[in-house]
Amino acid sequence: MNEEKEVEEQSKPLVLEKLEANHADTLLAQDESRGTVVVVVRKEQAYAVLEYLKTDPELAYTYLVDVTAVDNSQMESELIQFDYARFMVIYQLYSYQGQCRVRVKVPVHENDLSISSVTGLWRAANWLERETYDMFGIHFEGHPDLRRILMPDDFEGHPLRKDYPLQGRGERERFNFDKQNV
Amino acid sequence: MQSGLERATGEKMVLSFGPQHPATHGTLRIVLELDGESILKATPHAGYLHTGFEKLGEHLDYNQYIVVTDRMNYLSPLSNNFGYVLAVEQLLGIEVPKRCQYIRILMAELSRMADHLLWLGTAALDLGAFSVFLYSFREREKLYSIFEKTTGARLTTSYTRVGGVLRDLYQGCEEDIRQFITNFPKALKETHTLLTRNRIWMDRTKGVGPISGDDAIDYGLTGPCLRATGVAHDLRKAEPYSSYDEVTFDVPVGTNGDAYDRYLVRMEEMIQSCGIITQVLDNMPDGPVNLEDNKIMLPNKSDAYGHIEGLIHHFKVIMDGHGVEVPKGDHYCATESPNGELGFYIVSDGSGTGYRIRIRPPSFLHFQALPHMLEGGMVSDTVAVLGSLNVIAGELDR
Amino acid sequence: MGLDFGPDTGTDGNIITTTIDKVVNWGRKNSLWPMPFGTACCAIEMMATLASKFDLSRFGSEAIRFSPRQSDLLIVSGRISIKMMPVLKRIYDQMPDPKWVISMGACASCGGVFDTYTLIQGVDQFIPVDVYIPGCPPRPEDLIDAVLQVQQKIASGASPKGVEAIL
Repeated sequence: MNEEKEVEEQSKPLVLEKLEANHADTLLAQDESRGTVVVVVRKEQAYAVLEYLKTDPELAYTYLVDVTAVDNSQMESELIQFDYARFMVIYQLYSYQGQCRVRVKVPVHENDLSISSVTGLWRAANWLERETYDMFGIHFEGHPDLRRILMPDDFEGHPLRKDYPLQGRGERERFNFDKQNV
Repeated sequence: MQSGLERATGEKMVLSFGPQHPATHGTLRIVLELDGESILKATPHAGYLHTGFEKLGEHLDYNQYIVVTDRMNYLSPLSNNFGYVLAVEQLLGIEVPKRCQYIRILMAELSRMADHLLWLGTAALDLGAFSVFLYSFREREKLYSIFEKTTGARLTTSYTRVGGVLRDLYQGCEEDIRQFITNFPKALKETHTLLTRNRIWMDRTKGVGPISGDDAIDYGLTGPCLRATGVAHDLRKAEPYSSYDEVTFDVPVGTNGDAYDRYLVRMEEMIQSCGIITQVLDNMPDGPVNLEDNKIMLPNKSDAYGHIEGLIHHFKVIMDGHGVEVPKGDHYCATESPNGELGFYIVSDGSGTGYRIRIRPPSFLHFQALPHMLEGGMVSDTVAVLGSLNVIAGELDR
Repeated sequence: MGLDFGPDTGTDGNIITTTIDKVVNWGRKNSLWPMPFGTACCAIEMMATLASKFDLSRFGSEAIRFSPRQSDLLIVSGRISIKMMPVLKRIYDQMPDPKWVISMGACASCGGVFDTYTLIQGVDQFIPVDVYIPGCPPRPEDLIDAVLQVQQKIASGASPKGVEAIL
């Protein structure tokens, strides 16, 4: 058992080592699953961690692959682990320099759906955050243009939440063609 | 858009480009703010083809969802099938037999060629070169017939399965493919003759819609659009999946990141795909195609109909809670689709249906970067730039 | 063309009689100008139908017009979302009468495999459809067949769905 642990520590990815050294207090959990480092960080420090990941010259996660969210309301184990935070905002990052990926997860409680926008760090974040807002209703503070992107502007509800039915709430049958401004 | 008009000192005009416009290939919309013919501001709008793929992933089981992936990037459904099952397999922790990996590469590369051919035809059509459209569809029809013989469908192939593929290659498949790739470079040369040194084509694409490598990375561009800027990044090389590390190929890169370079990169990628296909055919291993695991793979149809064991296996795999059960956890798997990085992020709660399936489409980020390439250019460049990006609405809006 | 040779008047069949309707319909039938409203996978098969191998122009329908005001045949091919439906309705309204509509593929006809919150479950809820094509996506031959069916319908003098009578 001890030997195994030693081997693990030797091959610990650089990103985990550096995060532990610099942002240890923000890390809620960490894991390495299937070659990707996964870290769960506190919402308040999420921006700082992401900024660090991008700007640190040794890490240089300059490519924001994806921003999305998961509604954990039907995932009991996740809810228990992260203090009943309903949503988990997920950032996938890639470093061209190190050719490696990291996944940053940020728990977001339903009663406070705001989180700092990372549009200032990566321009790619703009639409990805808009989509997450559209689909989950998570509010990205400081986003320059937080509007719906996939659904029409007058749409109500957030389709990818678990309490939204697959067939919708009758939006596809109701139309007021006079009102629509195409 | 009102504020832009109020600010205007000269005569400004707002032009709504799409969603129904011949150059938007369906459902893209860009609102252009023009000063004469130069573009001051471009605002792309997405969502006109939003279908709810990600929501469907929470209701269909892992094998049923393959059908949905076909309809996402409908120029190259085989690549989507491939990327999706690879993500599920990695989450399951299984690896398919060598022969299956080779067949998947073969099909993925053929579909890369099919994708680039259609892109070539329509991009040229938008700029007025109708013959290229006819030429590229002539080649695409040959690919269609190979796909149809292999998978049973021209377009919506649903060829892969979790743990394998639908069926082995048909008899005579190798000859068909070899014949196609022998003739293909000649056919592509015709297009080169028509376009590559064509004065009109060069004037309309060279220096049009340029983007630098750093900006491209910042905007999250991938695939040919990124490589045209000079960044030699290809997931087939950077993170070799399936058996891509066993084939050799070059990654073509451009220098200026303009529409012309994107054209050249795609043209060269088709030739490289031919090389990969030759290697795959030469080294195609024998042996089983599908994973021999009754918990994951459906039995052959003849077994399901003719033997009681086969029928029970079939039943067990199909029934919810008995078949493919993916262990709890999450995984992000990216593949190099013809358009760029196609990623599937799957969260599993341990059942036979995904808890959340997130698709990371390349087109979404390409379309987002469009204003960066358009602003400051001329209104007629819009068509050239949009064509060069190959934004697929199905993938953009999901 | 519905031509009848005239009664035996000693003119050796040099006179033919017909009706204006029949002549006009004959003209309409053989010069359909399609407006392709292609959104998704079916649009790719529609392109294949127009391209070299299948060549829809053999049936007098090669004048593809992307302007609804110049066309008389709307081909709805692909999924129509709730965001797109007002656009489609507006395009249909802009087409001059008489106009025909082909609903190409399962998604346009009934929503297909996508029974989701955002997808119209059949465009015929909002615009009249003359010919439906099954398939996901239909083969180019199916689309050609649908165009031929529209031609038959025109030749028979029947008015399109949603239009009172052809003038």
